[in-house]
Amino acid sequence: MFVTNSMQKNVITIGKEASVFEARDKMAANSIRHLPVIDSENNLLGVVTDRDVRSAMPSVFADVCNLEEEKKKVAELKVKDIMTTNVTTVSPMHTLQDAIMLIHRTRVGAFPVVDEDGKLKGIISVRDLLRAFVNVLGIEEPGMLLCILVENKQGQMKRIVDAITEEKISFGSILVARYWDEGKRAVFPYLLTNNVAHIKRKLKSMGFELLNPMEWYLDQLPKHD
Amino acid sequence: MRKTGFLHDDRYLLHRTASYHPECSDRLKAIYKGIEDGELLPKLTLIKAKRADQRWVEAVHHVKYIMRFEEACLYGLTEFESADNQMCRESFEVALLAVGGILDTLRMMMEGQIDNAFCSVRPPGHHAEVEKAMGFCYFNNVAIAARYLQSEYGIKRVGIVDFDVHHGNGTQHIFEADPSVFYYSIHEHPSFAFPGTGREFEKGIGEGEGFTMNSPVLPGQSDKEYHKLLERDLFPAFDVFRPEIILTSTGFDAHEDDDMSGINLTTKGYSWIMERVVEMADKYSDGRLISLLEGGYCLQRLPELAKNHVEILMGK
Repeated sequence: MFVTNSMQKNVITIGKEASVFEARDKMAANSIRHLPVIDSENNLLGVVTDRDVRSAMPSVFADVCNLEEEKKKVAELKVKDIMTTNVTTVSPMHTLQDAIMLIHRTRVGAFPVVDEDGKLKGIISVRDLLRAFVNVLGIEEPGMLLCILVENKQGQMKRIVDAITEEKISFGSILVARYWDEGKRAVFPYLLTNNVAHIKRKLKSMGFELLNPMEWYLDQLPKHD
Repeated sequence: MRKTGFLHDDRYLLHRTASYHPECSDRLKAIYKGIEDGELLPKLTLIKAKRADQRWVEAVHHVKYIMRFEEACLYGLTEFESADNQMCRESFEVALLAVGGILDTLRMMMEGQIDNAFCSVRPPGHHAEVEKAMGFCYFNNVAIAARYLQSEYGIKRVGIVDFDVHHGNGTQHIFEADPSVFYYSIHEHPSFAFPGTGREFEKGIGEGEGFTMNSPVLPGQSDKEYHKLLERDLFPAFDVFRPEIILTSTGFDAHEDDDMSGINLTTKGYSWIMERVVEMADKYSDGRLISLLEGGYCLQRLPELAKNHVEILMGK
């Protein structure tokens, strides 16, 4: 669960003396929105984003008489003139949770990954985190979702896991969420099996309350008056 | 009234699964009983199982996978590749008998001996991938049937309608790049139900783009939602595709009394679906329609569901 396992290691970068047009073309050609700017020693100097580039381009509202002049100005602009230098970076040994929280708080879409010496090691974006999320949830593996209501006391999860493991069923993931009854939790095991009826019966016979996962979801939707 | 075939064979009962397993031989007994008690047997063309030539299985599955499955049976293993796939020494032979029975039924239809048919076979097939057994399935019966129709009879457009409550991942993956087979599936939404595929945006790849269509249904939904989705998705799509033959992956497990899913189709809802499928076959494929059994585990409901299903095929 470390950034180093999920980041892109072959980073597409640009030098600070490159033109803004070069930066724009590089991002378009590679379908990316963030270009780390580095020096010849692979030290991170800044980041240039597609938004930085767009802001540098002449406005469509620019005076037609001045358009040629504006274009000329842009042609002279270099990456170093528009890049962000105050960049939030993460270390390869940050956890994915760190990266998710950072993105959540800063609303930045990607972070350069930099080691202790300031060298660029990779880049981690929302896309990489989504891929890790798909992996962790087991979304791409064949399985089915249960929703079990449990009392909020110790040892409940062990009973569930033991009961399912005894049936030789593997887990894709388990999520635990709040429930409208205080003192209860909704547990969502994603089970890698098609044989759902048997395990459902078993859990019920153990005294667990099984909920249609949809009922829980519907509770999350805004209520109409 | 149409000439309807009914493939049933006691040898399909020889594929044994563990005692608690839902995919059990009692399913076929329940289906047979429903058709027998409905006094339909004398009006049907009864078809027996036949061992398939392995080359037809190889039209879909990798030969190494077929050998792996055969060896697992010979060793006497009781599960194959996952605890879901319970089996016994006879399972390989029974799987070949299922495929062979289906291909013989297709032959009879193509030769005009029958108009359509219901194949009550085990093990089911639509989860089986080219090289992987999954979800109680070993050989992908419906996929092999489509390939057989193409190479033996030069059929150019095969339409598959899969209304088992689970998405037929195997069938979709086998044909997703192939524009000659249209795969349509309506099933419980993959975020809730096995096998986790069949999302609305899965529409085929490459040349096959636009020839795969999925209608996921949220748990708790019933007949009304099925009406809406079939009318919105399947009917217009088949009106453009115009299948020369329709094959169905028939699963009775979306029934409200079947505890293998969260979908609540009624018995009437099932009849409505099959009536529309038969209408489409009449409209596009000269009535040619073969229904292949996939899931359906409620032993109390299977008799009536199977009886209605066959009656609709017969046009009674």
